[in-house]
Amino acid sequence: MTQAELLAQAQQALLRALLSEGGGDDVTLWPHLAHTEAQNALARRGLQAYQANGLALAERALTAAYPVLNQLLGADSFAPMARHFWRQHPPQRGDMAQWGATLADFIAQAPQLQEEPYLADVARLEWALHCAASAPDVLPNAASLALLTQAEAAPVTLSLGAGVFLLASHWPVASIVNAHKLGTPSLAQAAQMLQADNAEHALVSRQGYQPQVRAVSSAEFALVTALQCEHDLEHALNQALALDSQFDFGAWLTQAFSAGLVSAAIHCSTPLTTQTTDFSITKKRRPCEDQP
Amino acid sequence: MPPIACGIGWRYPHYAELLEHPPALGFLQVHSENFFAAGGASLSVLKQARAHYPISLHGVGLGLGSACGIDPWHLEQLARLVALIEPVRVSDHACFARGLLPGPAGLSAHAVHAADLLPVAFNQAALDVMCANVQTVQDRLQRPLLIENLSAYLEFNSSDRSETAFLSELVARTGCQLLVDVNNLYVNALNAQLAGSTQDPLRSCQQWLDQIPAAAVGELHVAGHADCGDIVIDDHGSSPCDAVWQLYRYAQQRYAGVAALIEWDTDIPTLSVLLEQAHLLASFPAESAVVL
Repeated sequence: MTQAELLAQAQQALLRALLSEGGGDDVTLWPHLAHTEAQNALARRGLQAYQANGLALAERALTAAYPVLNQLLGADSFAPMARHFWRQHPPQRGDMAQWGATLADFIAQAPQLQEEPYLADVARLEWALHCAASAPDVLPNAASLALLTQAEAAPVTLSLGAGVFLLASHWPVASIVNAHKLGTPSLAQAAQMLQADNAEHALVSRQGYQPQVRAVSSAEFALVTALQCEHDLEHALNQALALDSQFDFGAWLTQAFSAGLVSAAIHCSTPLTTQTTDFSITKKRRPCEDQP
Repeated sequence: MPPIACGIGWRYPHYAELLEHPPALGFLQVHSENFFAAGGASLSVLKQARAHYPISLHGVGLGLGSACGIDPWHLEQLARLVALIEPVRVSDHACFARGLLPGPAGLSAHAVHAADLLPVAFNQAALDVMCANVQTVQDRLQRPLLIENLSAYLEFNSSDRSETAFLSELVARTGCQLLVDVNNLYVNALNAQLAGSTQDPLRSCQQWLDQIPAAAVGELHVAGHADCGDIVIDDHGSSPCDAVWQLYRYAQQRYAGVAALIEWDTDIPTLSVLLEQAHLLASFPAESAVVL
């Protein structure tokens, strides 16, 4: 074995030891370490220190990204879950803010959480809020909205603001998140909605630098989904009107622009083929709902 | 001797307070990865700080000693941040963090990042790896990188040279500079004392400082550590001890007024404490000669 191969092997052995439950007994690591008795004792303690640091980092990182999930599960359950997730799905990148994207799927498959099926969607929503906080800034262009009042040959559409994410859930996930973060609705009201199996369309956006989520109507959900898929406005609006013939686009646009949901009106670069889209509640994200 | 540029590690609890009344400081140091986001509040405050201070971008995630190479995504995020902030210095550690681990049966190997600063062996293969990785970063950034000595709790038995010989060769081959953390030196020396490898920690640190090329040193770090009895941990969570201050004074005399930083990352004190300690950094070299 060359020295380069030995180096790679030693590094792999240390990484495996750090991610294993019984890292101190990893037989592949110890042949690579300095081996006096005193050095071995210090190395075992050092390995414990590295492991403890990783596990503490895992708890801190997931607690920061998933504060509501932490409250729902309680610290006594959240911490072991974070440690298990760390070992099963360790970071792949050196930016810890990127780690944790797959926690929702991990929760959905966790046997001990099958009694709480809404938790996975809560996690999806919290990850979207986490990503929205650091999404590329989008400058609003109020003047561009004049395009909507002009008789244009080319179709127009609306650009969305920073961090927009849509989730159609079988559970009242926006209300659950807001009950814990904002107190509105109350926890009791959110619990009642959960017991009543109230489904919700959740919409994440960012006002300034502040991510927010709210439950929206199926019509608004359909409109924003179509805009996110870069359909022209006429098509997008028809999607909304098909679900709610009373949908007030003017009032919606005023509110959406001031809230940072819509940033500008633009010409469609390439008109997309109109197609019918099903906006019924589903647990799965639609193909055009990009992970933020 | 020209005045020393003294800075503080600028962390989240002090973002707003420092910007409200920017104190006199030579520079601010931040962790590069905390500002990899394309937008949002954190990047905004860093841009505001840049209007008042030079910024030293200090990375913790490149994993320059990783045998599998550095993550191109990570380097691109760093390059974008460097172009945006135009930092006074860019640094990372003489450590490894990444490795390719075999996937589950039937799946190919996948990259894992330990999110920690893991020790490297001091031998030719490890030097070749680190030189290649440092050169890749420097080629992309078009500027020299500063490499920080590590506090390490494990030692590979494949090492065949001293840390100072390793770092000196790294400097000679790549033209990189060194960031010397005197607390890391002292932590290693205390742990070496526990392992029976040294009787005089301060003297061994002095020898270390004497052995590296003085002209290559571009920044000094001073921090606190935790003595757990059976191991000493570099936790940046307390005031530097007297021995570390002594080593700092010795280093400043040897390296002729190099930029210096007080660094806290846990149990972060008030901003006023940080500023007091930054002023201590600036005042030491004016005192009488240091004898260790």
